[in-house]
Amino acid sequence: MLNVRPEMKVIYTSILIVFLLFLLLPMGTLLLRSFETAEGYSLTNYYNVLSNSELLTAFVNSIKISGLTAIITTILAFMIAYALNCTNIYRPLKSVIKMGILIPMLLPTITYGFAIMYSFGNQGLITQLLGKPLFDIYGFNGLLMGYVIYTLPAAFLLINNSFMYIDKKFIIVSKLMMDGSMRSFLNTIIRPMLGALGGAFVLSFILSFTDYGIPASIGGTYSVVATQLYQVMLGSIPNFNHGAVIAVLMLVPALFGVVLLNYLERFNFHYDKFSQIEMVENKIRDIILGFISIIVLMGMLSIFLVMFIAPFLTSFPYDLTVTMQHFINVFTSNDLTAVYKNSLIVAFFTTVVGIILAYSSAILNTRTGLKGRVAFDVVSMITNTLPGMVLGLSYLLLFNGSSLKGTFTIIIVCNIVHYFTTPYLMAKNSLSKMNPSWETTGGLLGDSWFKTVYRVIIPNSASTVIEMFSYYFINSMVTISGIIFLVSAQTSLVSSKIKELQHFAKFNEIFVLSLLIFFTNLIVKLICDYLQKKQSVKNF
Amino acid sequence: MLKLENISKQYHSKVVLENINLEIESGEIVSLLGQSGSGKTTLLNIILGLTKMDNGRILFNDQDLTNVKMKDRGFNIVFQDYALFPHLTAYENIIYGLKNKRGSVSEAELQEYIDFLELKPHLQKKIGELSGGQKQRVALARTLVMKPKILLLDEPLSALDGVIKESIKERIKSIAKEFQLTTIIVTHDPEEALTLSDKILIIDQGNISQFGTPQEIIHHPKNEFVKEFILKQLQIKRQNIFQLFGEQYA
Repeated sequence: MLNVRPEMKVIYTSILIVFLLFLLLPMGTLLLRSFETAEGYSLTNYYNVLSNSELLTAFVNSIKISGLTAIITTILAFMIAYALNCTNIYRPLKSVIKMGILIPMLLPTITYGFAIMYSFGNQGLITQLLGKPLFDIYGFNGLLMGYVIYTLPAAFLLINNSFMYIDKKFIIVSKLMMDGSMRSFLNTIIRPMLGALGGAFVLSFILSFTDYGIPASIGGTYSVVATQLYQVMLGSIPNFNHGAVIAVLMLVPALFGVVLLNYLERFNFHYDKFSQIEMVENKIRDIILGFISIIVLMGMLSIFLVMFIAPFLTSFPYDLTVTMQHFINVFTSNDLTAVYKNSLIVAFFTTVVGIILAYSSAILNTRTGLKGRVAFDVVSMITNTLPGMVLGLSYLLLFNGSSLKGTFTIIIVCNIVHYFTTPYLMAKNSLSKMNPSWETTGGLLGDSWFKTVYRVIIPNSASTVIEMFSYYFINSMVTISGIIFLVSAQTSLVSSKIKELQHFAKFNEIFVLSLLIFFTNLIVKLICDYLQKKQSVKNF
Repeated sequence: MLKLENISKQYHSKVVLENINLEIESGEIVSLLGQSGSGKTTLLNIILGLTKMDNGRILFNDQDLTNVKMKDRGFNIVFQDYALFPHLTAYENIIYGLKNKRGSVSEAELQEYIDFLELKPHLQKKIGELSGGQKQRVALARTLVMKPKILLLDEPLSALDGVIKESIKERIKSIAKEFQLTTIIVTHDPEEALTLSDKILIIDQGNISQFGTPQEIIHHPKNEFVKEFILKQLQIKRQNIFQLFGEQYA
């Protein structure tokens, strides 16, 4: 481990100050405000919130629907990951499934709701194709559908990643030991995957419990915590103290979830090493799983299909003449192009500053002997727990009177802190795998520490930096939960504008804006993937 | 007797194995020796029934196994990294397959295997607590109790160090002798192959370079590849050892 240098201490202190100001202080304020009443500090707010039957129903509803979502998502994600990792399905088809399943990540959740409406509503595309509405979409059914679509990509990534680290030789061993299909499946797939499956369940639960976009668009009269929180804070009679209480209560399942995730970590198998091996042939298994995966994928994509059709028609579904008018309207409206520009600015600065922050934290944590470098792990655990809405709300409470209110800066900082965990862990993972003597070698060859970082460390983790870029950028383009309390008329972003347009029933504009986000993200993702691939080719 | 006839295999138009013909007598230890990418592991997987061949036949005691599934062939393998179940103890790993084949091995026989492989003191240990050599013996025991008709070993010594290597080598020899078990070993190490097996199949780029006893290979190398790849390595080793001990120990 490298000797500690003054410049490391300076960076360390600066980063900690950032997190002190924008993580600990806001959280402290939130907690304080939740106890604050006209007569001093007490539990009265909690008592009021918990005895409010409407809020209590919202909590129960949220738990019910998030639990059901988590079960459905985990099962679907598992089946698809199984199909990709343990079958001989035609390879190009596997790649299509793998990419297709991630598409929802490129869109704000609020768009899902409108896509579901335009697909399954009374005049919806799918309803029209089927001849009659399948079910009532406003409320429970629509929410469930939206949550499953929203959580499926994340759960899939988690399970799929674990699958890649499972030694498939055990499947062969189990066959040779004459296991029946059930015992073989339990011992070689389910048992090593237990941790990941539990993780996917918890993750899906937390994501749906804390999402604001989906209930905002399609929740109907089915009230959930997120919409209640919004109502209490920005409704007709705002009550910040009650809002703080709800935010704290929203945090509880998330906290519980993270504790559970750490516990589940123990069930993960750590194979010494693993090698690629052929899958035993089984046509029936391949056909069934391939079929299921395609159905899930098609089902998911068919819901988004309408988004690509409706804005090109005069007035879907009544007047189906093709027109570019909606696009022209959006692009000639100063208001809407400004919103898109705002989103780009926020995403760009979030990404650049976020990468610098996460990467520096990871370097100090993994490649120096700094005392207190564990602080970054603690921070990343806290940011992992914090729902975007809770963080945004705490900023609102803390910075309401300050000059930061209504600025881009506060939105950018909120995004950086909100999404800190994943890029930090990406960087940490890649930096800790590098040869630990590079800095010493660089030093012996006459480099300063900064120079070695610049000349050796960064070039060797270029691929990770690109991955971090893609993650930060796409998430700040689509987030709504995090920023809904922080945007002002001047700093409105596409995702929050969509919410506004909903009031005026301007669905074509909503879809045009969604398409803008979608294609922007798609381009960024494709470029990042391409660059990453080029990097890995160069290195091996 | 195991008989391979005209076995060929291609992966996406790349020829991995070409017209392999081979006869292995019962109770023999045969090594498949070759460099990485030579096709030796593919051949092992074809015998096991994991990999499908494009052409050719496999016969075992005159029974055609070409289209018999892996599970029904009755062969078994110990993988290079042993593939022991990490959530079970050594003992639970050993008896793993017996739960599916009740009564095939008596309690006394099971103890015999355990004693033979000197595993008694380690039975209740988790896999993570075992050394490399102990893992190897547990994996052997788990496979042997299934009473395979042929034992396949994929690089059985490559993960072990010095002294353990020699002792496992002896162990494999005595297993083959004790249980009259045909054993096929994949290795890339000429010394290992020549000191461990009755016969060696040298594979070069998917073709049989030479098949014969250690003596035949040492004294009558069939071609340049065998001379260059096999003998030269051994000669250098011999040279080094002579230099260490002095010529009189030759």
